[in-house]
Amino acid sequence: MSEEITGQVRTYVTDNIPITLISQGAEAVVYTTPIHPYLPIDDSTKGEKYIIKYRPHKRYRHPSIDQALTKHRTVGEARLLSKLSQIEGLQVPKLIACDVYNGCLWLEFLGQDLPQGAGFSNLKNFLWMHAANDPYSNVVRETLLKVGHQIGLLHWNNYTHGDLTSSNIVLVRSQIVDGWEPHLIDFGLGSVSSMVEDKGVDLYVLERAIMSTHSEFADKYNAWIIEGFSNVYKLQGKAGQKKLDELLKRFAEVRMRGRKRTMIG
Amino acid sequence: MLQTKLPQFPKYKVDISLFRDVQNSNELKTKVAELPYAFIDAKTICSREQLLSAVYRALDEVTYNKMRTKSLHSECLLCLSPTSNIGDAFHKFGIKEDSREVICLQLSKVEQHEVPPFHVFVKGIEVAFDDEHLGQFYDKELLRRIYKLDSSSQPQSRESLSRAVVNAIHLRGL
Ligand SMILES: Nc1ncnc2c1ncn2[C@@H]1O[C@H](COP(=O)(O)O)[C@@H](O)[C@H]1O
Repeated sequence: MSEEITGQVRTYVTDNIPITLISQGAEAVVYTTPIHPYLPIDDSTKGEKYIIKYRPHKRYRHPSIDQALTKHRTVGEARLLSKLSQIEGLQVPKLIACDVYNGCLWLEFLGQDLPQGAGFSNLKNFLWMHAANDPYSNVVRETLLKVGHQIGLLHWNNYTHGDLTSSNIVLVRSQIVDGWEPHLIDFGLGSVSSMVEDKGVDLYVLERAIMSTHSEFADKYNAWIIEGFSNVYKLQGKAGQKKLDELLKRFAEVRMRGRKRTMIG
Repeated sequence: MLQTKLPQFPKYKVDISLFRDVQNSNELKTKVAELPYAFIDAKTICSREQLLSAVYRALDEVTYNKMRTKSLHSECLLCLSPTSNIGDAFHKFGIKEDSREVICLQLSKVEQHEVPPFHVFVKGIEVAFDDEHLGQFYDKELLRRIYKLDSSSQPQSRESLSRAVVNAIHLRGL
């Protein structure tokens, strides 16, 4: 199956663009490549990597419907990334190209390998790495506050992520200080939304993700994230505080519903 | 001069040169229809990625969708534009009578025979087509107006302006 999909992408991008599979989801397949789609190879592109996110054909759909849907979703994600890139302080991958006819989105590659073979620098691996020696270290706290800040910016501007797991938060080593800058990736399920429910679900999904992988430290980790999140709203004065209260109340309700479900299930 | 090919479209070659102190923009403007190049006012280009993403979009459109204009060069100008009106695109991005800094672009099939180099026609001083020079020549306010970018947001770096422009180029009409 994935061989066939990769074959399709190879045909589109030609042999000039070598691709490496890094993830296969239900809706999209993700590759990296060292070749930029239009910038020449020189000092600015040497050693860089780029993401190609491909939405394969679905055979069970009528071809014209399939094409329209693929185009719709590819454009949808590109448009969302474009809007998000305009928000001051919010960090999302840069859109490089949007090839709607082939269902390919080209994005900036974010992140790197963590030291000591701890894997790719998403939030999940980062927390694993620190759990071993100093789970409550300053760098962990700072990073989680910044994670909360990013989500706060997203929600305050009325966008939701739709699949906010700790793998979809990528840490990029800071250029200025000794630390990490969280970036949000994978907006395939993202949307414009002012609904507290959608935002509450985002927060709940992340809370669950952290509980399931770092249960021992999850309480503190989640509290730091919410602290960073809340700071964004509090900066907006009374109106912000009001929205924050409403949102956190809904978050608690979403959590209650989730608990009941697991108890019954 | 930048001579390149876009890896996804190896059947085409791209040549781009940047000139400053151009003396004969007036004359060049009258010849745009005959000459096998695109002449672009460098005031409207803030980065290499801006122009090259328009070239990418143009090749993507002509390869997988359709050609909307008469030549690959007008296709590139159309793809630079945030709107789908070709006259408007020429007017905004094309060379003006008084353009001082001009970008010459030639996009053609690899097998197509050679055409005279740009300097045969352009009376000006060639400088490297790179972000450093483009950064000196572009007009920030003009770009904001053309791409209808929010000016309420504080002073923007060239990088973030370029990013917004590249987004607009890739999303036009979609
Ligand atoms: N911009 C990016 N930079 C680095 N890795 C990415 C990027 N986008 C996607 N990935 C990787 O591909 C996986 C699946 O991507 P997605 O389908 O967008 O969720 C992610 O969990 C990441 O590991």
